[in-house]
Amino acid sequence: MSLRNTVRAFPTLLRVGVAEALAYRAELLIWVLSTTMPFIMMALWTAVAREAPVGPYTQQGFVGYFLATFVVRQLTGAWAAWQINYEVRQGTLAMRLLRPISPLWAYAAENLGAVPMRTLVAVPVAVLSVLVVGEQAVPREWWGWPLLLVALLGSWLITFLANVCIGAMSLFMESSRHVMDVWLVLFFVLSGYMFPVKVLPAWMATLVDWLPFRYQISLPVEVMTGVRTLPETLMLLGRQWIWVLLLGTLAVTLWRRGLRRFAAYGG
Amino acid sequence: MISVRGLRKHYKVHKRPPGLKAAFRSLFHRDYTTVKAVDGISFEIQPGERVGFLGPNGAGKTTTLKVLSGLLHPSEGEVRVDGHVPRHREVAYLKKIMLVMGQKQQLLWDLPPAETFELNRAVYDVPREQFKQTLDELVALLELEELIQKPSRQLSLGERMKCELAAALIHRPKVLFLDEPTIGLDVSMQVTMRSFIKAYTERHGATLILTSHYMDDVAALCPRIIVIDKGVLTYDGGLQALVQRVRPEKRVVFRLERPVEAASLASLGRVVSHEPGSAVLQVPPEAVSATISRALSSLPVTDLTVENAPLEEVMSELFAETKARRATADGEGAP
Amino acid sequence: MLRRYSRLLGVQLRASSLLAMQYRGDFLLEGLISLFWTFTAMAPLFVVYQERKAIAGWSFGEALLVVGWFTLLQGVLEGAITPSLNGVVEHIRKGTLDFVLLKPADAQFLVSTTRFEPWRSTNVLTGVAIFVYAFHLLGRGPSIPGLFAALVLLGTSTLLLYSLWILTVSAAFFVVKVDNLTYFFQSIFDAARWPSSVFKGPLAFVFTFIIPLALMTTFPAEAMLGRLPLRALVAAVVGSIVFAFISRRVWLRSIGHYTSASS
Repeated sequence: MSLRNTVRAFPTLLRVGVAEALAYRAELLIWVLSTTMPFIMMALWTAVAREAPVGPYTQQGFVGYFLATFVVRQLTGAWAAWQINYEVRQGTLAMRLLRPISPLWAYAAENLGAVPMRTLVAVPVAVLSVLVVGEQAVPREWWGWPLLLVALLGSWLITFLANVCIGAMSLFMESSRHVMDVWLVLFFVLSGYMFPVKVLPAWMATLVDWLPFRYQISLPVEVMTGVRTLPETLMLLGRQWIWVLLLGTLAVTLWRRGLRRFAAYGG
Repeated sequence: MISVRGLRKHYKVHKRPPGLKAAFRSLFHRDYTTVKAVDGISFEIQPGERVGFLGPNGAGKTTTLKVLSGLLHPSEGEVRVDGHVPRHREVAYLKKIMLVMGQKQQLLWDLPPAETFELNRAVYDVPREQFKQTLDELVALLELEELIQKPSRQLSLGERMKCELAAALIHRPKVLFLDEPTIGLDVSMQVTMRSFIKAYTERHGATLILTSHYMDDVAALCPRIIVIDKGVLTYDGGLQALVQRVRPEKRVVFRLERPVEAASLASLGRVVSHEPGSAVLQVPPEAVSATISRALSSLPVTDLTVENAPLEEVMSELFAETKARRATADGEGAP
Repeated sequence: MLRRYSRLLGVQLRASSLLAMQYRGDFLLEGLISLFWTFTAMAPLFVVYQERKAIAGWSFGEALLVVGWFTLLQGVLEGAITPSLNGVVEHIRKGTLDFVLLKPADAQFLVSTTRFEPWRSTNVLTGVAIFVYAFHLLGRGPSIPGLFAALVLLGTSTLLLYSLWILTVSAAFFVVKVDNLTYFFQSIFDAARWPSSVFKGPLAFVFTFIIPLALMTTFPAEAMLGRLPLRALVAAVVGSIVFAFISRRVWLRSIGHYTSASS
């Protein structure tokens, strides 16, 4: 599995990933429509904030927050854990392993391939957010934009690599679906997806800062709405990418060990 | 029993060319073409007949079977099976037929075949007594004793197909549609299936339509064959007559005591294969006896047989013939 | 004919229980995770109510009733409805739906009774436990006629959920890759966790008439509290029957498309 081989092949893999996403547009639409949580939460929290703001968030604040959450979720989603589980069970993983490129690159390409289509959906929502909330919906400093891209990439990587870790577990146990379920529950609650992390009681806030979930949704949203200063943003980004490195190492290790076991015992 | 007249089945499919630009364009505009899966087929089948459907892949055989079993509505044409119109899917009709598809299965995956049998019994309203009788018969004929209590996923392909066939016959259908039932099975299993199907249809007077790519299936089971190619019926009659028409030449297979020169063989007829210990010649039927006597006098023959060309070759020649004919017709028809 | 179909149902139930016994370890684990999900998903509720007494006219205890009904219905959904209808999606994917259509029984019935997962009933028990706790918080018991109305509404909600699922699955006949229909359905259903008065404007309209989540969880909660007007109950019953009728028509149309009945 040479690096040069991979680098040469990756653009094609990406192109195919995007074409696939285009071909299955109906399915993609269903995925997009399934991202209902931000809107449901928006309704709930704006109802809560009707009489008085909750923490630093007014009704408008919540609208802006959840629209941004929707955009971030669209752009940073990954489903490699399901893919890996499925392919291990069906036996098609063996086919991928015959190729001279690690399957992880193929999964990455396929997951990334959906981003252009999802951007088509995310951009109108971002525009809507600007119309409704005003200029607080987007970064106002010049450094906000490039750092937003960094934050989005970091968030996607955390999601993807966590998926790979959990998917790789299916090489050890029969199905890691349940681990994914548990991860998702924690993600929903601790990442800022169901409610902004600032709304949590103080003791939980420190816990949340140490876990990776917060850097999946909350951080990109904060960078997007420009509520942090430059030094704060840089520090948070630093923490995010530490998690990227940690998860990356864990993912590759689990994957390699898992494959060795897979080869030894068959599927 | 089965009457098909002017059957046509057309599909509208959208074209999806490769490439990123085309994929993006297809988001907004789609090109459709019409696929003529079946384009005007007519035939009649009498009760108790066993008929083989032959044809290259994509010819329309499976589509025809699906129309006959009521799974697909024909675009045009009249179809009647035992007085019923299949597409109405009357309960009485569905209880009389069965479709077995070699590549797909109806057995419940995680449970033993016995459960699927029970389920079918309930669905088809088979009386307990008859069910027990039928099941005993099937288990005996197919040797299913040890298989039916194991979960289906633990059975091998051959064992599963046997159980699949049994599940299909629980309700003693009068009409059997078998779509490539022996695909992927080893030779001995194919033989078992063939003899079972023959025994069953003869015992219960069932009507059978079989499609298969294994010529041996067809040769063993179907005295009459219907050839379908690109949705059109190109032949309807006995197997022997077809062989006569397409490849009447006989093959004479010689077992030789010692190697002979190619030249001496070539003078006798067209050489199909030539090995140190044997040779095969292709000879027009009228010249067979003359060739044999000449061969016996000039070659060190220890054994010989006369046979027809292998059915596979006959069929591929037939398909090539039809294809060529169509190509010229298209060529002539082009503006 | 009724006898025939009830016999069929019996056979299907038996097959499901056999399967459940076989995979009981797996199912128990799923039950536990379900429990974990239920409580964690209540986190927003706790966070919301730590500062406010009432949201959109609902106190904590009252909102808890809605959550309880949501949990209960989720148990019904995941135990009796989703497993079978996921089977349809599998059939379409593997091309084995033909076998279902070949059988001399109604396809919708066959397909809806294929699989039950009895272990999901833990959610039903959790729901009841939440009711008990909620009423304990409220310091009173449910109104008795309200309880009867709630039971009726359980029936209508189940019927509604089932019809919604049939509609979703009918889409599977038209869409090529359908693996995520379950996810889609569950994402929409998630809105039923909250009292429907939380949703305002167009969302309120959608959730009352188009995907009537309001009927499923808010109405029964209000019935238990004794404040559901009779006409709302009648509307719920009528509405669910109409919905069932519509979903049946859509199903038949979809099967027709599959067999190209209309072309």
